[in-house]
Amino acid sequence: MKREDFTTLTAACAKCGTCRTVCTLYPERKAEISVARGKITLVEAAFSDRDGNAEALQEALSDCILCGKCERECPNQVAVEEIIMKGRADLAEKLGIPAWKQVVFGKVMPSVTARNVTRTAATAAQKVFLRRVPTGSGLHYRFPEAFGLSGRTVPALPGKSFLGSLPPGEAVRGEVVLFVGCVFDHVFPQVGRAAYETLRLSGKGISVFRDAPCCGLPALVSGDRLSALRCVEENVRRLSDASPERIVFPCGSCLVMFRRNMLFLLPSGHPLHGEAVRVADRCVDYASFLLETDVLSRLPDRPKGEWAGQVGYHDPCHLSGTLGKGPEGREVLRRTVGDSYSELRGAELCCGYGGTFNIRDYPTSAKIGQNKVSVAAGGGAAVIATACSGCILQMRDMAARTDPSLRVVHIAELVSKAFSSR
Amino acid sequence: MDEQVLSALREVFGERLFTSHEQRICYSYDATGKMFLPEAVVFPVSAEEVRRTVLLANEHRFPVVPRGAGSGFSGGSLPVRGGLVLSTERMDRILSIDEENLVAVVEPGVVTETLKAEARKRGLFYPPDPASIKFCTIGGNIAECAGGMCAVKYGVTRDYVRGLEVVLGTGEFVRTGVSTVKGVVGYDLTRLLVGSEGTLGIVTKAVLKLIPLPEAAATILSFFRNNHDGSKAVVGIFGERITPCALELMDRTAIDCVRENAGLPVPEDAGCALLIEVDGPKQSVTGEADRVEQACRKYGAIEVSRAADAEGRERLWTLRRSISPALRKVNPVKINEDIVVPRSRLPEMLAFLGDLASRKRLKIVNFGHAGDGNIHVNLMISGTDEEERIRADEAVAEVFRKTVSLGGTISGEHGIGIAKAPFLEMEVGPLGVSVMKRLKRCFDPNGILNPGKIFVEEEVVSR
Repeated sequence: MKREDFTTLTAACAKCGTCRTVCTLYPERKAEISVARGKITLVEAAFSDRDGNAEALQEALSDCILCGKCERECPNQVAVEEIIMKGRADLAEKLGIPAWKQVVFGKVMPSVTARNVTRTAATAAQKVFLRRVPTGSGLHYRFPEAFGLSGRTVPALPGKSFLGSLPPGEAVRGEVVLFVGCVFDHVFPQVGRAAYETLRLSGKGISVFRDAPCCGLPALVSGDRLSALRCVEENVRRLSDASPERIVFPCGSCLVMFRRNMLFLLPSGHPLHGEAVRVADRCVDYASFLLETDVLSRLPDRPKGEWAGQVGYHDPCHLSGTLGKGPEGREVLRRTVGDSYSELRGAELCCGYGGTFNIRDYPTSAKIGQNKVSVAAGGGAAVIATACSGCILQMRDMAARTDPSLRVVHIAELVSKAFSSR
Repeated sequence: MDEQVLSALREVFGERLFTSHEQRICYSYDATGKMFLPEAVVFPVSAEEVRRTVLLANEHRFPVVPRGAGSGFSGGSLPVRGGLVLSTERMDRILSIDEENLVAVVEPGVVTETLKAEARKRGLFYPPDPASIKFCTIGGNIAECAGGMCAVKYGVTRDYVRGLEVVLGTGEFVRTGVSTVKGVVGYDLTRLLVGSEGTLGIVTKAVLKLIPLPEAAATILSFFRNNHDGSKAVVGIFGERITPCALELMDRTAIDCVRENAGLPVPEDAGCALLIEVDGPKQSVTGEADRVEQACRKYGAIEVSRAADAEGRERLWTLRRSISPALRKVNPVKINEDIVVPRSRLPEMLAFLGDLASRKRLKIVNFGHAGDGNIHVNLMISGTDEEERIRADEAVAEVFRKTVSLGGTISGEHGIGIAKAPFLEMEVGPLGVSVMKRLKRCFDPNGILNPGKIFVEEEVVSR
């Protein structure tokens, strides 16, 4: 990225310090380098001083969850996420991308075949190396301490992915396309299935984007611009050809990639920009689509007390931030679980996942996540429902570590259950 | 600062000493947007660590610049002479809230809103409310004597500091003031330290006064045709013998900035708005709000609306809150002054500012705490036009001269720092400056603490 482009973005920062109030990481670090004002000043300084240390800048820009809360709070609406993502990409191009990330983002994520092969290997590996732990949200495996991951748990990979369980042959066509996302396909296929089945109740023609590349977000936040670009270019071309009315996302992270981040990679001037904008405009989150098509009006009257304990909604940063989604998920939940719904204590607190951040600094990510789930449980929640794959991975891990009775689910799972218990 | 000094600091602070280029950059700025690179940053967690730092500084002669959240508007926390930034952000405990004697004892790094929220839970009130309340710290508020919206009724930080524990520039540890309501034992060092901008001592603990939380409040938004009517109404409200807990004025340019996204209808011909809040016991609030409305109408308000519930009040306040962020629409660079004049001189001051803007061909947006005569004069410039910058500097000097001639002060709540140092003498006179410098030498003979602030000594060079 050109110096002038960065300067335009960073110049809007007035250095007022408002970002300190909402930064998810600041309470852990207690140092200005963790907040947007610090990172932006570092980016500015990198352009003005030639002796800047690229590795140190990369370290600083990597130490961010990209929850985007600062951007939302900022009085000048500084594009903090864009600055950090673009900064990471520039630095990765300068310093190189670690080999494992090159394989994952460059080879595995864009290709459905490679993802399936990887998944088979991972399923086998976790049975061999990891310890089984039952939790409220299903079977998890715990990493042994020796792996240096201090007791992290991961969900047991099921035998079949969601897409793998579909009958063959359906192509992307029709009015509405479901973009299921890698995690809801492979790790939590029950979410993919629940979303698919409940979308079909809308009466619209629903097709699943079966051999979709990854949305590209993991590559983008890791600074792997080329791999991210490959994903979004293919997604835009394919969806543009199919030209559906709506593309529905059960995962908030995939959605923010399509609605906003994709346009960082395909800016005006790029040959695919126009198509990307048209695709982006048709992308919608799962809850909004249900409300738009009034699916829930067909729910039967619910007997009280069917849901054991309070059900609350967690705001995924990727939905509540730029996209301003939050009331929709709550509304769906309220209509689905009736009297069991109650506002989650600390609903807006970030879960601390941050994708690569969780790998980079698991202890801090876990500390933020454990606080998240214990605040929620302290408020009486028995079930946390949300709409983002990262949040679900993280909060299930945290619940497994602190309170195995706490369930973490996707809202689609509850909607599907409400319909099936008719 | 050589390796010997750094290793001595490392012995005290361990990992709480930052020396990397990147970490230092992150402690080089504040809300003025200016940058001065420190040589190192430390994060003490106790008064003893602060004391040891200042002793080392005296031994090795390096500057120590105390810093809270870096939210100041006058450069108080900028390390203009390099040296060490001493961040208080990890001394952030509320040590006690005494509900019988209505005092709180806090460390300097406590965020102001955190204290207010803890007090509120107990039905108590810590009034000072600078705009940066959610992230600024008590230590920084004390150093700059921060004010805020409710100063008109409840006063400023100074009015809530009963006593302090301070490390002086000599490294001596001193307790000042009292924790009781009264106290006249010797000189009032507490009041001297409040607003001293970290040049005399570093606060390590503060004893703060709390008051009962007001029971109810009502907010009134009035639009006027022009500043003249609006500022007459300000005086008129006090003429009714009412002290509002907030009385904010917005001029035509400020209103125009937010007209579209004010979230409420703004009359076409509105050239001035007053946002007034009254608080107190439930029974008296309604009556006072009625009288405020009457006073507004008497002085020519073209529209008056009122809200007494939290949601409605918040909606009226959004008009005021949306101004600062919207200023960028006028021009990208803001020169922000916070002059105060006696309330009765507001009409004259506002007329002067209007005339000045047209004479100097500048965009000047005026808003602020009119109830206490405190106007935030924002000169909005392009930042790229050198000639415009010179006109703006001349305008600032004229604003200050006019302010002093009206019996006002050149800084209500931001402090002098580096931004207003050239104008200090204009207000306090050469003898005033001399007495202040003598005090400085007494507290900090080696000039360790926050050098280059308040007084003009030598040219300060921005990086």
